[in-house]
Amino acid sequence: MKNSKVAKRYARALMGLSSDHSQLEAWGAELERLARIVDSPEVAAQLESPTVNHADRMAALGKIAEHLDLSFPLRSFAVVVASHGRVADVIAMAEAYARMLDDLMGRARATLTFAYQPTDEDLARVVAGLEAIAHKKIIPTTKVDASLVGGVVAELEGKIYDGSLATRLADAERRLSG
Amino acid sequence: MKSRIAIAATLIGAASTPALAFAAEGGAEDRGTWGALVFYIINFTLFAAILWKYAVPAARNFFRDRATGIRATLAKADAAFREAEELANRAAERMAKLEAEKNQISSDLADETVYQIGRIYDLAREAAARIKRDAEQGATALAENANRRVREALAHAAGKVARDLVMSNFGAGDQTRLVQGFVEKLGEEARR
Repeated sequence: MKNSKVAKRYARALMGLSSDHSQLEAWGAELERLARIVDSPEVAAQLESPTVNHADRMAALGKIAEHLDLSFPLRSFAVVVASHGRVADVIAMAEAYARMLDDLMGRARATLTFAYQPTDEDLARVVAGLEAIAHKKIIPTTKVDASLVGGVVAELEGKIYDGSLATRLADAERRLSG
Repeated sequence: MKSRIAIAATLIGAASTPALAFAAEGGAEDRGTWGALVFYIINFTLFAAILWKYAVPAARNFFRDRATGIRATLAKADAAFREAEELANRAAERMAKLEAEKNQISSDLADETVYQIGRIYDLAREAAARIKRDAEQGATALAENANRRVREALAHAAGKVARDLVMSNFGAGDQTRLVQGFVEKLGEEARR
């Protein structure tokens, strides 16, 4: 909870640097790339090791930023994060930033789990249905889970919409068993 | 003891004195004289006086002591009799009390027995009712549990059969129909 609050604070600070939506989007992508690298086990172990001193840690993060070809604001952001010893929270910052950006852009992320690999038509119909509910543009993340037997399950803004056959069969089984 | 010896000696002496007098007169003729008569009278008087002097007080004392002893014995006997009578009365009283106590104990025992019998009967009746109730509840619970398990087993088997059937016959068209149904539900949700 504490880290989540800290991450939100950093994400809000980064968003406050610009009002240009396209730039904010670009920074979001860069922050996500940075988070993936920093969160990888080998890099995270090096950056969080107590044997690595502060200067080396900052230098390493600067090299990572350079390697990822990050923009100046993101490099500065990475240096600030490293100097405050918050490297471990970068992934949470990226998530918080993405949520804030989604809110700003009027869009929502949904996880769609299909029993079979969906066709583009099926995916588009489900996304359209969710957009009608959320009144936002939906950015879907698609998964396939054969245990659903058939149908689809959508998770949007913390709410589950279950259209799977597995759930229907389980309901029927529960009703039969009384 | 001394007085008795004295009495015996006096009597023997008095009885032998006339015999000595007769022995002294043995050689004379067998004829009475005035001197002999006087001698007899004096002799008898002496005998009577000696008797009066020694034998009568001793006899009187003897009989008085004897009477005193008898009276004391009688008094003792009377006291003993009264004591025995008192003891008998007390024993009778005690017996009466014991009888009353016996009757009371007997009555109490009878009452207690009746109470205990009633209590045992009540306890037995309650225990029987409880056992019956427990048995009924246990039987009901067992039956319900068995029913529930049978229903669950049947439902599970039915669910498995249904799942197998669906999976073996499921096609792309079915998935499309399910997705369509899901989208329609989403539409209903959006309209609410």
